[in-house]
Formats: sequence, structure tokens, C-alpha cells
Amino acid sequence: MQINWKNELNRKGRRVVLSNQPVAMHCHHYNINLQKTLEDTLGEEGVRLLYQAAEEASFDGFQTLFSQHKKLKTTESKLEFAADIYQNCGLGIIRFQETDSRGGQIISPAGHHVTGWLAKHGMRKTPGCHFSRGWIAGVLEVIYDHPPGYYSVKELACKMMRNETCVFQVTEKLKRKRKLKT
Amino acid sequence: MPIDGTKIIHAVMEGSRIRDAKGIIPLFGVYLSIFFVPYYNRVSFEFEKKMGKDQDVEAASLLIEAAQECGYATFHGIQNSWEWQEIVEPMIEKREDQIFGFTAVALAFGWGDMEVRELVPNERLLIRVTDSYEAARYAEDHGPATSGKCYMLRGVTAAFMDLLYGGIYPEGLFTFSAEESCCRAKGDQCCEFLAQKR
Ligand SMILES: [Zn+2]
Ligand SMILES: [Zn+2]
Repeated sequence: MQINWKNELNRKGRRVVLSNQPVAMHCHHYNINLQKTLEDTLGEEGVRLLYQAAEEASFDGFQTLFSQHKKLKTTESKLEFAADIYQNCGLGIIRFQETDSRGGQIISPAGHHVTGWLAKHGMRKTPGCHFSRGWIAGVLEVIYDHPPGYYSVKELACKMMRNETCVFQVTEKLKRKRKLKT
Repeated sequence: MPIDGTKIIHAVMEGSRIRDAKGIIPLFGVYLSIFFVPYYNRVSFEFEKKMGKDQDVEAASLLIEAAQECGYATFHGIQNSWEWQEIVEPMIEKREDQIFGFTAVALAFGWGDMEVRELVPNERLLIRVTDSYEAARYAEDHGPATSGKCYMLRGVTAAFMDLLYGGIYPEGLFTFSAEESCCRAKGDQCCEFLAQKR
């Protein structure tokens, strides 16, 4: 389904809305400053916070988005729609390669946070797309009908480390725990 | 000529619909992203919570600094963009008019209706906002606040003054600082930000 972006992104009074939900436009300076502040101050806890905030906002946002686009019935069409939204929101390119209800692998050859981080701080030693990991978790939980927090998303390779592309691995948290026990 | 905010809103709405092949929106000299407001509020207010009661002032000032630095870099980029030169500059008669251009961009970005209440060149800037997204749901989610919660707008207000009166970029950052005297998160009617020299 082609998105009519002109209808989707609009103004409602003084607000900017995406399918009637308030959104804010922020540039890479702010997004990257927030990330750096949280990482520098709280370390791993800050990383988790960025991930969870993106996961929850993406979960709530896409739940509303899909409820307004009832024509999107198949998983494929929902995944395609989500990738279009990602791109239209200036967040980058995302490719859901092999995903099913249990997770899968996703690649992102370009991203807002990657471009922003490299412009402001240069190469990283560790993967840095915490926002995108959370975004992916939230959207997949909606598409595959799971509660928020169901998936764990790890970044196996990251363009912020000068890898060719960002690679995300999605697994079920419960299953992973069970596997570890056995 | 007064600044025509609708022209700026139009430019932002149109510009934000243009993205390159990488899914990046280059607009007004920066890379723009669009995302749901609750994300930003969660990041700020959970960060504050995680820092703990005895470090809440430190947390707030880190968030304000992050916003001020961002505002300074962002609006410097905006001032030097071709969009600004083409759309905003023809409406600018005196230096102070730039602030009205900045607030129009902020409104276009969905940050709130920043209204300039008082501007004393090189001294003070008072801005009122009635619908700050940072304050909008604060009380509902966290209970009434005891201090101002609009860290992003507070930093950005000071950044406007840094850009106009702080001297040559990038030396002017943090020449000014802003306070939020009233905030809707505290139950006030609106939020007010006063930027003054440090
Ligand atoms: Zn990455
Ligand atoms: Zn406020």
C-alpha cells in the first residue's frame, strides 16, 4: 500500500501530527546530544532507557497507525508500511529480511542516527543504534501481536563502527532465557 | 516587514516530505527526523528519575545544556541555509527579527507556539508557550511538578540569544542562560522562559 504522506503528516492547530498523533521534528544535533548525554551519564542504564523509550513510543504509535489503516491485513504489507514510515520520517532505510513471529534479522544500510553520530562524533567502538533497536522491537511487537518488551533486539554490526551496514537480530526474550537454562 | 510564520511552516512541511535515497531529510542545513512526542518525554523524564532525587538538578541541567547546544548548532545551520536565505531573510529588517524567524521554525517543527513577549537586545528575552509538548502530559504521567519541566524549550530560548548576541559562532554558546518561571507541568496557565546573560 502506498502511503499518502501528505495526508499522513499534517498539522492540527499548532501541532504536527502523524496520523493524528503528535510528533516532533528534531534534528541530528538534538537526537545525538540526548543519546550522548544518557550514555555518558548512565552508561548501560542510559542505553537501556533510550531503547525502551523508542520501543514504547513505537509500539503505541504503530498500534494507532495500524488501527487507522485497516486495509493493511497481511504481515508483509504491515512490514512494508513500517519501513515506509521509517523512511518518510527521515529515520533511514530499514529492510525486514527474514522475520517471523519469533524474530529474525533486519538490516539498515542508512540511518538518521548513523549520519548524525558520524557527523558529530565520528566512528564508535561499539554499536550505537539504540533508538533503531527500540523502534524495531516496538513495531514488530505490534505486527506479530506480542506485548511490549517481548523481543530483544541486538545490533550485530553498526555503521557507526564503520561496518558496511547495521545488522539487527531479533529474538524472543522468553525463549532466549529458556535456551540459556538448558 | 513582520515575519510571516505561515511561509516558514509551509517550507518545513514541504521540505520534510523530501527525503534522499537514504531516507534522510536534509532541511535548513540539518538532518531532520520525525518521531512521536512521547519518546522525547520518556527519555527526559525517565533520565531525571534514574538520576535520583539528589541528582535531579544535575539531570535537568544536562538536558537543558544538551538542548541549548543543539539549539545553537541547529539554528546556526538554519540561519546559513538556502531555505532561510530564500524564505526568511527577505522578511528580516533588523537583527532582532531573526528571533521571530526562529520561533516560527520552532512552531513549524512541532515544538510549541513560542511567543516573544519581551526582547531587550543583548540583555533579555522572554518567551511564552501555551502548548509545550514537554509540559502537556507531565502532570498526568508523573503528578504535578514542583519546578519547570520544559528543558528543551528552556535551552533553546537561551540558544536564540547566544546566536544573536553571543559573538562569533561557535564561541557564543552558553553566553546566556534561561529560567522557566511558570510551567504548565506545575499547574500554571502557560510556560515562560527568560533568557539573560550568565
Ligand atoms: Zn547502527
Ligand atoms: Zn513548561
